[in-house]
Parts: sequence; C-alpha cells; structure tokens
Amino acid sequence: MSVYLNQVKAIVWKDFVTELKTRELFSSMFVFALLVMLIFIFSINLSIVSANEVGPGVLWVAILFAGTLGLNRSFMLEKENGCLQGMMLAPVDRSAIFFGKMLSNLAFLLIMETFLLPVFMIFFNVDLVSHLGPLVGVILMGTLGFSALGTLLSSLSSNLKTREIMLPILLYPLMVPVAIGAVRLTGQILDGKSLADMMNWVGLILCFDIIFISASIMTIDHILEE
Amino acid sequence: MESSITFQFLMTEPNLPLDSSPAIQVQGIRKHFGHLEALRGIDFELKKGDFLSLFGPNGAGKTTLIRILSALTRPSSGIARVAGYDVIEADPNMRREIGVISHASFLYADLSPLENIRFYATLYGVEQAEERAIEVIEEVGLKARLHDRVRTFSRGMLQRLSIARAIVHNPSILFLDEPYTGLDHHASGILKEQLQALHTDQRTILMTTHDFSRGLEMCDRVAIMARGKLALWESADQIDPADFERLYLETVEQAQRG
Repeated sequence: MSVYLNQVKAIVWKDFVTELKTRELFSSMFVFALLVMLIFIFSINLSIVSANEVGPGVLWVAILFAGTLGLNRSFMLEKENGCLQGMMLAPVDRSAIFFGKMLSNLAFLLIMETFLLPVFMIFFNVDLVSHLGPLVGVILMGTLGFSALGTLLSSLSSNLKTREIMLPILLYPLMVPVAIGAVRLTGQILDGKSLADMMNWVGLILCFDIIFISASIMTIDHILEE
Repeated sequence: MESSITFQFLMTEPNLPLDSSPAIQVQGIRKHFGHLEALRGIDFELKKGDFLSLFGPNGAGKTTLIRILSALTRPSSGIARVAGYDVIEADPNMRREIGVISHASFLYADLSPLENIRFYATLYGVEQAEERAIEVIEEVGLKARLHDRVRTFSRGMLQRLSIARAIVHNPSILFLDEPYTGLDHHASGILKEQLQALHTDQRTILMTTHDFSRGLEMCDRVAIMARGKLALWESADQIDPADFERLYLETVEQAQRG
C-alpha cells in the first residue's frame, strides 16, 4: 500500500514541479476563467437580474471551461516524449496513474478557484465570506467530479487526433448532473440557505462523484492500454 | 569531456531471476491491427546474458515485438515469457525485470535529470531513490547537468539519460528499440561503450537497429525480421560482417516474395 501511495505521490509531485517551472497551466486556466467572467459581466445587466441567480451559473461555466483547458494539457504532458509509455512500463497499477493525475488536476483547479472566487465576489458584488464554509464544500464536491471524469476522458481523448475537440464533446454532456447540482447549490447558498436544506442536491453530486471515480478505476486499465 | 567518461555498470548486479528458465521465450506470437497482420508467428528463445541484434526494414514488426515483450501491447495469439513471466499477465515483478530504451526518451522535458530519474525510481519502488538516481546519472556521465532542464539536452545526452532511466531499477533484461536513431558519430560511440558495459554485466539485451556495424559488433545472436516473421536467426559468429549487407538484402527480398 505504501508503494502505491508513493507512486501516486510521485505523479502528483512531478506534475507540481513541472507546473512550478512552466506556470503554463495555472496562468492559462486563470486568464481564461477571468475572460469568461468578464464577457458575462458585460453582457448581463445586474440591475435587472439578481447576481445570486445568474452568478453561480457564470462561476461554474468559467470553472468548467477553464478546467477543460487544464485537462487537455494534463495528458498532453504525458504524451510528450512518450512519458505515458514510460509510466506504463513501470510496475504501477493503472489506477495509481489515474489517481495521481486526478489529484494533480483537482489541486490545480482548486488553486485556480481560490483566485477566481475573490474576482467573482467583486464582479458580482456578492458576499461569499459569510457563506464560505458551505460554498467551499460545494466547490470541492463539484470539482472532484469534474476532475475524476475529466481525467478519465482526457486520457481517452489524448490518443485521438482531434483531442482538443473530443474532450469537451465527451465531457460536458456527462457533467450535466454535477454542473446543475453545483449551480443550484451555489445559488441557494448565496441566498442564505444551509447545506442541510439541500441534501437532495448534495446527494446527487456525491453520487455522481462516486460513479465517476468508480467508472474510472474500472476502465482506466483498458483506456491506457492502446 | 565526454570521451573521458568511465562506465561502471559492473558495480551493480542486475536483478537476475533465480530460476533457470530462458530470459525471453517467444512461441507463435501473432499480432493483428484490424486487417493488418504485424506479426505472423514469431518463435525464439534467449538465454540469460544473450545479446540479440534484430534487423529488418521499416514495418517489419520489430517495434511491435518489443512492445509485446515489454507488456505495452497484448499479442493477438501466442505465448511470450519474459524473465519467466507471461507478458499477458504483465506481472509487476516482470516489469521490474525489464528496462526499455526507445527512440522516444520517456523523459519530462521540463524536469531535470535528477527529478526525472528519481520519479522513475519511485515508480519502480527503488529504495533510496534519490541516491540511486544520482548514481546512475553519474554512470552515464551527466552529473554536471544534474539540475538542468532536460529540454536543453542534445539528442545524445537524452539517449544517455534514457539509459539511466532504463537501468535505475537494475533490470536483468533490456529492450533497445533503435537506440542509435538520430545520434551523431560521437554520441553513437558513447552509447556503444555504455551498451558494452551493460552487456558485460550479464544483462540480456534485445536491440533493434538499422545500423549493421553497430548491431553486429556486440551481439551473440543475429536475427532479421521481414513481413512480421523471423526470416533469419543465426549465431553472431556465423555471420561475416563484411557480407552482412548482401545477406540482409537477400533475406528480406526472399521473405517479401514469399
């Protein structure tokens, strides 16, 4: 078990060191998310619609779109110089490769979201600080599902010529339940409701998180083998 | 600077399997890609410490064979055992016994040699990964570039670092897929010295190459593949290097006609 954990840790560490040296992933994801938010803020008249109603949708669209950029890059890094094959040659359980990549994708997304939330708060003039606890919970749940499914599908699409197109085409339809749940929960949290009042949405997101992670563990072996 | 490098692979004993089974055993291996038959029944055996040079034109199936033997691809039919393990089962112990050097380096361009080799050492469960990584990087003469980004390396240096990556876990079997591709004369000479050191170390080596002189100078066995089959299998001492080009062309031509 400790060997397995060391392997997962090594994959996460390798992705972090690469990102610290290149700063490609974070900068591209954050700038893209910022641009998406800016486009929405100029196209929405917040004196007519409530920020609590449209804001959560805009936030999650920005997270999902920017996250897709990061996911595309994630397995491209492994394809360069045949590194994925190098990992596959090692006595590494394929699920360790999946968890390593998923955890680094999750961490990069969470870091990006940490910087994005203050921007969202300023642009939409909403108070996130008083709802920070439940909001962080929802963001964690939504981002976990997105990372799990995104990592699986980016490993699948990385073998395709049209990988940049295929990833969003495969990912977004399957992400719909988690995205809807996350938007609804975020909206209701901003309206001052507690998570305990919305357990059906929490349950839905958690169920899909479990489904995505389980499906990934079951299929990653076949996906990584060409 | 590079010519003064001394190779000390003899200092590390490979993880030789304890049983007396052949290092590599291949029986009736076939591989289909849709309608294309890349391998059409390959049979051979290599003893521990053997060095096989495998020649053949592009598309003969050499890389597919190495991918099967290193458990990256499953054969469509047939049996292949590496270090006594069935490649289809891809036992982790089998993976610990093999190292692969290919024309792709399997190295992360933005990481340093130390970060790359330490990463692979950890994946292979090598104890004291950092110390071992430094040791093998020193063996391939790249200690002075320990912390530089791999992206800045020449093709020859990348190939030497690939050797460090492939031997960091001390494998008993090495698969080399066209290791001389893209190397200049000087870098080829360095790679040759390193391969010689690895061979002297009693590792079983299977190398595919298009370079006749490099392929023939170290091997114990010579094979020529054409159209997915072994068209020639000979002991190296039965081969006249001066006449090998004619033998190669005739063998390939005959195989392609058949």
